[in-house]
Order: sequence, then C-alpha cells, then structure tokens
Amino acid sequence: MARAAALGTALLIALALALPREAPAQTKEDTIVYALQSDIDTWDPPGSVLREAIILGYQVFDHLAVRDLKTRRVGPNLATSWKALDDTTWEVKLRQGVKFHDGTPFTSKDVKATFDRVLDPAKKMIARGNHAKIKTVEIVDDYTVRFRTDGPYPLFVERMTAQVMESEKVIREKGDEWMQEHPVGTGPYKLVSWNRKQEHLLVRNDDYWGAKPHYKYVRIRIIPEQATQIAELLSGGVDIMKAVPPDQMDVINKSGTARTASSPILRTAMLQLDQAARSGPNPFTDKRVRIAANLAVDTDAIIKHVLNGLGDRVATGINPMAFGWDPNLKPYKQDLARAKKLLAEAGYPNGVDILFNEGPPVVEPGTQQTNDAIVADMTKAGFRVKRNYVGDNTVLVARVKEGKFGPMFNWSWGYYSVFDADAILYDVFKCNEFYSYYCNKELDDLIISGRSTLDQKKRTETYVKAQKVLFDDAGYLFKWGLRGVWGISNRVEYSAPPDEIDRMFLVTPRKK
Amino acid sequence: MRRYLVRQLVQLAVVVVGISILAFSILHIIGDPVTLLLPQNAGKEEYARYKHLMGLDQPVWVQYWKFASGAVQGDFGRSWYGNAPAFRLVVDRMPPTIYLTLAGLGVALLIALPLGILAALKRHSFVDTLCTLLAVAGQAMPIFWLGIMLIIIFAVRLRLLPASGYGTWQNFVMPAFCLGAFLAPITMRLVRSGLIEVMNMEFIKTARAKGVGERMVVVKHAFRNACIPVVTVLGLQFGQLLGGAFITETVFAWPGVATLTVDAIRNQDFPVVQCAVVLLALIIVSVNLIVDVIVGLIDPRIRAGT
Amino acid sequence: MAVGSGAAVGPTPFDGAASPDTSGAGWRRLLRLKWGVGGAALFLVIVLSAVLAPWIAPRDPILVDIRHRMAPPAWMEGGAREHILGTDQIGRDLLSRVIWGGRVSLLVGVSAVLLSSTIGVLFGLAAGYFGAGVDWSIMTLINVMLTFPFVLLALAVIAVLGPSLPNMIVVLGVTGWPLYARVIRAETLALREREFVLAARALGMSHARIVFRQILPNLVSPIVVIATLQIAQVIILESFLSFLGLGVQPPTPAWGNMLGEGRVYMLNSWWIAAFPGLAIFVTTLVINLLGNGLRDWLDPHMKL
Repeated sequence: MARAAALGTALLIALALALPREAPAQTKEDTIVYALQSDIDTWDPPGSVLREAIILGYQVFDHLAVRDLKTRRVGPNLATSWKALDDTTWEVKLRQGVKFHDGTPFTSKDVKATFDRVLDPAKKMIARGNHAKIKTVEIVDDYTVRFRTDGPYPLFVERMTAQVMESEKVIREKGDEWMQEHPVGTGPYKLVSWNRKQEHLLVRNDDYWGAKPHYKYVRIRIIPEQATQIAELLSGGVDIMKAVPPDQMDVINKSGTARTASSPILRTAMLQLDQAARSGPNPFTDKRVRIAANLAVDTDAIIKHVLNGLGDRVATGINPMAFGWDPNLKPYKQDLARAKKLLAEAGYPNGVDILFNEGPPVVEPGTQQTNDAIVADMTKAGFRVKRNYVGDNTVLVARVKEGKFGPMFNWSWGYYSVFDADAILYDVFKCNEFYSYYCNKELDDLIISGRSTLDQKKRTETYVKAQKVLFDDAGYLFKWGLRGVWGISNRVEYSAPPDEIDRMFLVTPRKK
Repeated sequence: MRRYLVRQLVQLAVVVVGISILAFSILHIIGDPVTLLLPQNAGKEEYARYKHLMGLDQPVWVQYWKFASGAVQGDFGRSWYGNAPAFRLVVDRMPPTIYLTLAGLGVALLIALPLGILAALKRHSFVDTLCTLLAVAGQAMPIFWLGIMLIIIFAVRLRLLPASGYGTWQNFVMPAFCLGAFLAPITMRLVRSGLIEVMNMEFIKTARAKGVGERMVVVKHAFRNACIPVVTVLGLQFGQLLGGAFITETVFAWPGVATLTVDAIRNQDFPVVQCAVVLLALIIVSVNLIVDVIVGLIDPRIRAGT
Repeated sequence: MAVGSGAAVGPTPFDGAASPDTSGAGWRRLLRLKWGVGGAALFLVIVLSAVLAPWIAPRDPILVDIRHRMAPPAWMEGGAREHILGTDQIGRDLLSRVIWGGRVSLLVGVSAVLLSSTIGVLFGLAAGYFGAGVDWSIMTLINVMLTFPFVLLALAVIAVLGPSLPNMIVVLGVTGWPLYARVIRAETLALREREFVLAARALGMSHARIVFRQILPNLVSPIVVIATLQIAQVIILESFLSFLGLGVQPPTPAWGNMLGEGRVYMLNSWWIAAFPGLAIFVTTLVINLLGNGLRDWLDPHMKL
C-alpha cells in the first residue's frame, strides 16, 4: 500500500512538472489585456457570424473604409476615395505603400480575390449575404477597382466597413482551412498564438502603414463568467471589458482601480408583436391592441430607474445614430386610460391574455429587470401577461426564425454595425423575413424604394415616411436604443466606441 | 482473473458504444443546428444549401454509420463552429480538465481523510457529527457561489491569487479547492465507514491481541482495507465530475473539456459533442476498470469471488 | 433483524460486522442520537415554513417594485423594515422569496428522489435477484448512465420539453437512479443466498413474492438513508440547472434560480445571492444530520 502511495505521489509530481508554462514574453507595461465572454470560431472574419470575430478582425486586418469615431461617418482606410460612376458601378481608389504581414504589397488584385472568395456560392462564407448585391469586381489598374452591383446599392459605402481585405497570395496558396487559424492582414497587430477558448496573443505590426499602436502586446482573454470578468478588472487581471451590466457600474467606479465609460450604440431594443400572425391568431393583429400596448408602458421611467438612464428612447426601431432617423417623430407617452379604452374598443373590455416569450440577457443587459417592469405596467392597462422564459439564446434565436415565438417577445437588433435605417427595416420589419413578425405592404414598398436609389435626399424622405407608417401602425412595442457600458482599468485611456468595435490600437496609458 | 477482465472489457465497449448512440440520438432530437449556424439574415435557399453541405439531410442511421466508421479511426469530423478537427479540439482541452480533476480529488482526500479517520475513531460523539458537517459544508454551497466568493476574497480583496485563468500553480488553488470541497462529503463518509467496518474485524482483534500498538493497528491494517471503497468511489466520482467541473471551469475561465462540451451542446456542434462524450466515456470507463482491477488485487475477498 | 414470513430469524443483513450497537431502550437511543433528532426537528421547521409559506411570508414574492430595487437588509444603512432581508434586483422582497423558494426546492427534491429511488430500487432488485443476463444488462445501463454527461441529458430533455417544474423533476429523477440501483443490487445479491430466501424458493413461492415480501423489507434502511441524503443532493443539482438556465423559470422563486440570478451581484448587493445560498446551505446540513441520525437509528453498520 505504501508502495502504491509512493507511486501515486510520484505520478502526481510528474504530472505537475509537465504542466504547461506560459512563456511570459510580455511585461505589464507593454501589454494590454482585453476580456471576451466567448471565443471566436475562426480568424477568417467572413466565415463567422460572431460579433467577436468582427472585433478581432479589426485588430489584425484593415477595411477599405472605416468609421471615424468622432464624426461617425465613413472615411477612407485602405481605400482613399470612391465614387459612383453610375447607378450600378462604384469606383474605388486604393492606398499605395501598404504591405501585408508577410511582406506582400496590397493591390487591387487582393480586393478582387477577397470579394470573389466571399461571393463564391460554392464556399461556405457566412458573409456572402451581406455583399450579395455586388455582382463583379473588376481590376482597372494596380490601385483602382470597379464594383458592378445588381441594381442601385446605396449601402455600398457603409458595407465597405464590413469586409476585411485578405491577401490574394494567401487565398491562392494556402486555402480556406489554413486561413482559419493564420490571419494574414495589413492591420496594426499580428497574431502570435491562439489557445482556443482560452487566450489570444497579438503583437504590434511595426511596419504598419498607419498610426502605430502604443501597446506592443495584446492579450485577449476568454472569461465566460461575468462576475469573474469584473473581479479580474478590479484586481488588475484585465484592462478592458465590455457589456458591463448597469447594476455593476458603481462597484467598478468605486473600486479605485477601474472606471466605466458608456456610449450609445446601434443596438435597438423592442418587443416584437405578432402582427403578421406568424405564430397563429392573436390579439396583436388588431392595431388598437398594439397601440394600447405602447401606451401602457412608462418606458421613460424604466430607462431612468431600471437602466440608470442608460438608454435612448426611440419612436420606432430606427436608432438615432442611423441614417434616415427622423428626429421630429416623438415616441408614445404612457396613457393608461387611453390604453384601456382602446382595448375595450378592440373587444377586450375586461382585459386580454397575452403570452410573453423571453430569453437570457446575452446581447441586451438588464432584460429581466426591464421586462418585469414592462409587464407590471401592461398589467395595469388590462393585459394579463403569462411569461415563458427560454434559457438558451441559441434556442431562442432558432424559435424566432421558425416563427414560433409570438405573440410577444423580447428582441434587439445590432444593425450589423451599418448605420443605416435599411439595416433594420429589411430584416426586422419586412414581410416574410426570418426575424420579422410584421407585414405591411405599404412599408415593404417604402423599404424597397429606399434601397433602390443612390440619392440620399430621396432616401431620407422615404425613411421618414416609413417611420411614420410604423409609428402610426404601432408595428411593435418600441423601447430604446441601448447604451454600451465598458469597464476600463485606471492605468489606461480609452473611449467607448459607438459601433461596439473595440480598437486595441487606440489604447494609451493614462498620464499620472 | 482473465475471464473477469475480458468480461469487463466487453462491457466497456458496450458502454462506450451505447453512450455514443444515446448522445447521437439526443443531439438529433434537440433541434436544428443549421439554423443556428447561419447568420441572422440568411435566406431559405442558403438554409437548404448548408443542410446539404453538412450532410444533415440524410437518414439518421446513415449519418450514425458515417460517424461510427470515422470515429473508430480517430476521425470525428470537423467542428462546425471551431473549424478544426473535432478530435484535436477535444484532446487539446483534456489536460487542463484532467489536471483539475486530479487536483480536486487530491484536495478532497486532504479534507476527507483526516476528517473521516477522526470521525471513525470517535464514532457517535460530537466530533463525529462535527466532522460530517465540515465535510458536508463544502458540498452544501453550490460551486459557483463558493467559487465567486473565493474570487472576491482572495483575488479582489486580498490580491493573493489570480482571479481566473490557467498557467501557473496559483491558478490551481481556488478551482481545486472548489472541486475538492464538492467531492469531500461522500469521500469522507466512505473513509469513515470503511474504517469502522474494518476496525471491528477479526484480524484487527488478533493484531491487538498480539500487542501491536493501537496506532500501528489503525494505520497499517485498517487503513489499507478502508482504501478499497474510497478508491472505488473516487473512480466513480471521476466520472460524475463533468457537472462540477463545468461550473468550476466556467467561473474560473479554465480552458477545459467540460466547458467545450457544454458550449458545443448549446451550439449543437454535433461532431465536437460526440467526440467529447465518447472520449470522456472511454477515459471514465477505463479508469473504473483499472480501479476495479487494483481493488481486486488488493482485496482477497473479491479475487476469490471471480 | 430479518423479516421473513414465518421463517426463522436470521442474523443481521450486513454480515462481517460485530454485534449491533442497538442496545438500550428506545428513548435512550434517541438521546444518543441527539444530533439526528435535532436535525429532524430543524428539517421539520423548514418543511413547515415552506408549507405555510402563503401565511408566514410577509409580502408577495413576485411583486415588482423597481423604485426600491436592490435595497439592503433592514439592519444595514439604506435598509427598511418592510424588507427585512432586503430586495432583489427588481425590488421583490427577499425574505418572502426565500420562504416561497423553499416550497419549490423541497418539492423538487422530494419528488425527484421518490422517482429515482423507485426506478433505482426496481432495477437494483431485478439485477441482484435474477443475476446473469439481466444483471449484466442493468449494470451496463448503470454504467452508461453514470458516464453520460448529466448536462447533455438535462439540456436534451428540457430543450425538447421546455423548462418547467415537472420536466426538471423528471430530469433529476432519471439521472439519479443508478446510485440506488448499485447499492440495492449489492444487498440483494447478498440476501438472495440466505436461508429464508432459499427456503421460500423450496416452498414454491413466486419470484415476485420473494422479492417484495422477503427481500425488500430488509432494504428499507439503506433506501431511506440514501433517499434522505439525496434530497440535499438534488437541491444542489437544481441550482446547477439554474446556472445553465434550465432550472425553474423566473419569476417563480426557487433557491437555485435566485442564486443563479444573484451571482453577478455578489460584488455589491451581496444579499441577493447570500440568503438563498444560506437557505440551501442550512437545509443541506440539516438533511445530512437527519440522514446520519436515521442511519444510526435504523442500522448503525450501514456503509453510508
């Protein structure tokens, strides 16, 4: 028995010594640590649905155009200028002197190769749908490219910020599988190592064509548990984290080691009402019931008390930062008497029973609390709300797509970081789209005409009309535009990005 | 002995195959992975295209046969989310979980052995009850509660240990303690009862009669035989640890196979789930088999029975 | 103390042990088992408080009051007498929720254990009594169940059937039976060869009668003790399921989901998670005391 014990101990010691050692190449001063709740599935951004992939893509790759964070308008990046030659042709001029991480120069053939690959139906590229309006990409010369589109494509400029530029040489020589784990971009950082679902290590690209990042190393740590992320922020293990729940802001702000910063973001929240009867007949097919629902809730109070003011009230699903937003349209104000009256007119003098489907607060923090407050208000107006909670976000999204989640459910939309009304109208309000429980021919016509012209003035008018239609018809129960909250260590300077894309290359140390 | 081994090996194979069939069936009942894989604005023809590309439009038994024939050769397909071979993904994450489990078992023993021995020696006294309560205390708190409390105390307030992560021995302390506390009660009970049972046995009385010191009696003879149920249960516990390990791994951002499996289950990433379930089953059943063999070697009673 | 219909009284079912320590009059034994009695009494208090919840809970456990959310307990600065233990993240009274939560947690615990013990005992009896092929199949099934990830099974059942109280009980019951089966099987195997059983066979008694009238009564002790301890285990498992989002759904209060929701708040509004956690802790301890007491009372030589 003693022998067995000794053997066991020896085995344990051997195992202990065999533990992996992290090679500490970086010091605290030259490293910035960024926390994510879940890891990406691939370093090839067009192959992923995840927002994290977009964010990480920004560190290692460049785009033709990017958003200027101060003006919120799209500005040049790898493209220096662009113009529409006609309704279906865009010409883009490229920056010279840019090199990929492997030394190859960036030219128009890389642009063509990137788009050809993404648009190829034989490949499994997730991003294909986003750029499907582009028919072909033509090389004019080494630094000029022409895009031919299938009809007028007004979102072209916005969508240039949504495609990373990959190397033609790598695409040709290495292939898709290699590219999942070896990103070769032109960006400010290079990938050093990737321990799946644990950590990424990035190192500064010292040959970068643009402004060089201050921090030499970036450690991206995957920490699934939010309480642990906050604990790490407070104890110095993490420098930047995102999606801080509003209730935890004062813990961070009072800690002395970190602070919070917030910014309005594109993501807009609403309660979808099954006007299109996708889940079967229900009271919300009647416009009066929908208006009553909007009138029942004191949304401003909820934003003030439950979200601590971290929300921007909207009249419809269009976010104030999106192109086409109508600032003159005022949202519904709470009016319980009128709500009850409308319900009675609609045939429910004694109230009406409603099923409310909810999910976990994955993309919209604080939903449980805000939903509880909304339900409490709706009950006062005569809605008898039965609640059904689905604990898994992936299951929830699937049910929504299948049309099974009506008559009322909690929803939010991130616009894919495209600051344009079309980016929500088409997917969430148009007839027969996967995530839309609303069907109104008048609105559909407006949506189509909005995306069929390059004339920005005409588009603005169209969208103003569309918002009026939505508002008068009370398409859904409209809530607010979200505010993202970031947790930032006091040893660095960083501002919250309105497009929810964290740029590690902009982080600088705090002056003492 | 050989017949026993052969029988057990057959049972091992049956169990592993049974588990893979069960997992396969359950996955296909749960839902539709294609919907989850596509971006939010994909259309219906994209859906059909993907379903075909993933081979999900074929009959269930065809799919299982393809899976099984590949699995036997070590090819579990590619993960639909990780875009890498499922086998590699799972195997990469095994060591941290195994290390954590061993560390947890070690902590459990550290807690359970002294408490169990003490409780057995002072049976039915206040000390006995106290030891039981102490052992149970660790399990009476859900792991995520205990884990977060430990993080708050030791990482945030006292700054003694890193809050989470994997890489240095300090990272092991809190997670191993959480797991160990979870396993301690059952282990302690078995140490206690095994010791009690053995202390009354004939050969102990003989040893006492021969005049060997009381402490020696306890340590040498009783201990050896009390180990048997402990080792058996530890083997069992190794298998049940997926539940406790998952929570510990989540709270402490531990890059282990438990979180990989649960994520894969949520994402309906079939290849990874099947690979993880089968490999884990193999390990667990093998460990149990080894434990049974060792116990059989130690305990003459069982050996006689086979 | 074997129970056989008309057969001679045989030695205790657990051979190899010394004479049982069950001497003394009943009440003297109870005195020695004072911890067990204490545990039983406390458990009774907890059960009563759960049963009488509608009458003793000070407020409505699901009433939302967002203007008073995250109020600390009454003895702390910022607390109020209306909410002795404070309020949770949407202003519901914590004390009421803890009291009502006991109902769900105990209901789940007891029902799941009833389910798993029934299944487990039946399987264990069959395996131990019939032996050979039946035994082998059941043992294989047990091994499959024990190595199969609890999480996967839980996710599967609940994803298909939806998260609800009955489904949770089913999941917990279905995953818990192997433990009983193993123990009962071992004991049945031992009992099967005993004189009174052999005699009954010789007399031509049917298998069913032998199993249920002769063997089962001897197994009551381990079944009861294991079942009692399992209640505590199931309460903890319920909190695991809530952690995964598969447990009792809000707004119904159950200790597990209250803990799950409250865990982010442990950094500042610690009371939201602390009190349900304390409830689980105390209940589990008390049940273990009770289980130990039962074990010592029914048969002190039991392995558990």
